[in-house]
Amino acid sequence: MGAAVDRYRTLRLCANGGGYEAVPNREDRVDLPRLRDALAGSGVEVVDARVMLIARLEAETTISQRGRILIKTPDVALAQRTLARLLGVLDTVSASGSARSSRSG
Amino acid sequence: MARGVMLMSGGIDSPVALHYLLRQGHEVVAVHLDNRPFTDDSPLGKVVDHLTLLRTRYHQPIPMYVLPHGPTQVTLMRNTDRHVGCVLCRRFMWRSAERIAEREGATFLATGEALGQVASQTLTNMRTATAAVHLPIVRPLIGFDKHEIETVAKEIGTYEISTRPGVCCQAVPDRPATRSNLIQILGEEQRLDVDQMVDDCVRRAVVL
Repeated sequence: MGAAVDRYRTLRLCANGGGYEAVPNREDRVDLPRLRDALAGSGVEVVDARVMLIARLEAETTISQRGRILIKTPDVALAQRTLARLLGVLDTVSASGSARSSRSG
Repeated sequence: MARGVMLMSGGIDSPVALHYLLRQGHEVVAVHLDNRPFTDDSPLGKVVDHLTLLRTRYHQPIPMYVLPHGPTQVTLMRNTDRHVGCVLCRRFMWRSAERIAEREGATFLATGEALGQVASQTLTNMRTATAAVHLPIVRPLIGFDKHEIETVAKEIGTYEISTRPGVCCQAVPDRPATRSNLIQILGEEQRLDVDQMVDDCVRRAVVL
């Protein structure tokens, strides 16, 4: 599951102190429809606002199209657990996306 | 004295604006547009605590309506230009507040806006946003700067509540428009069933 973990090295308290932001090292577009399907497929409730997803993981989490992640909890341990789970799903999405593009290439 | 509807966000400004209206003897009904899931629970909790404090101070009941605004935000994000999202959001807040004003027999709307503080509070955006409603809008803090507002908030005891930890609104676009154009805004709204959206929001209001 290396790829997503490598992309997100920073988890910082957000400006108003109510949550944690995970910021990618470089901004990549996230395939939100596929991430939505992957999350929903694993039983996570997801709100799809087209330019962002809101996933009801261990803590409610917003994922923007540009890869920014906001985990709505001030509890750092909970934020880390939530992020780890989300990155696992993101890796699955990235891996299946790569496989699809290599098949079509 | 008049009866008005005040938009309450949980931030520093709106309880200060409410304080001035109450001090002048106006009757006020509070309306909070609940932005979850684009925020967390904190704004709602802050508004509840602001009102508890100001009810005691001014011996007024101050009814509070909580309206679900998250579904409106989802519809706006899916169907309209993100750049003008804050102005569209404000137009829906005003419309919903005006509906509550009709229900409550209120004759004005009020807000804690101060000129130039955030993207939605430029003069152009305020004008575009409020073109959606008919009632007069009272802005007790319009010429205040942030320091003045914070000083009053500390004096009346609302500052500590407003500055508790919370999550910023996630629906705010990266580069919000500061000079909106009413023609463009009306064009964006043509893609929406505006009346139905406001109906859905107001129908699900909860009074606390």
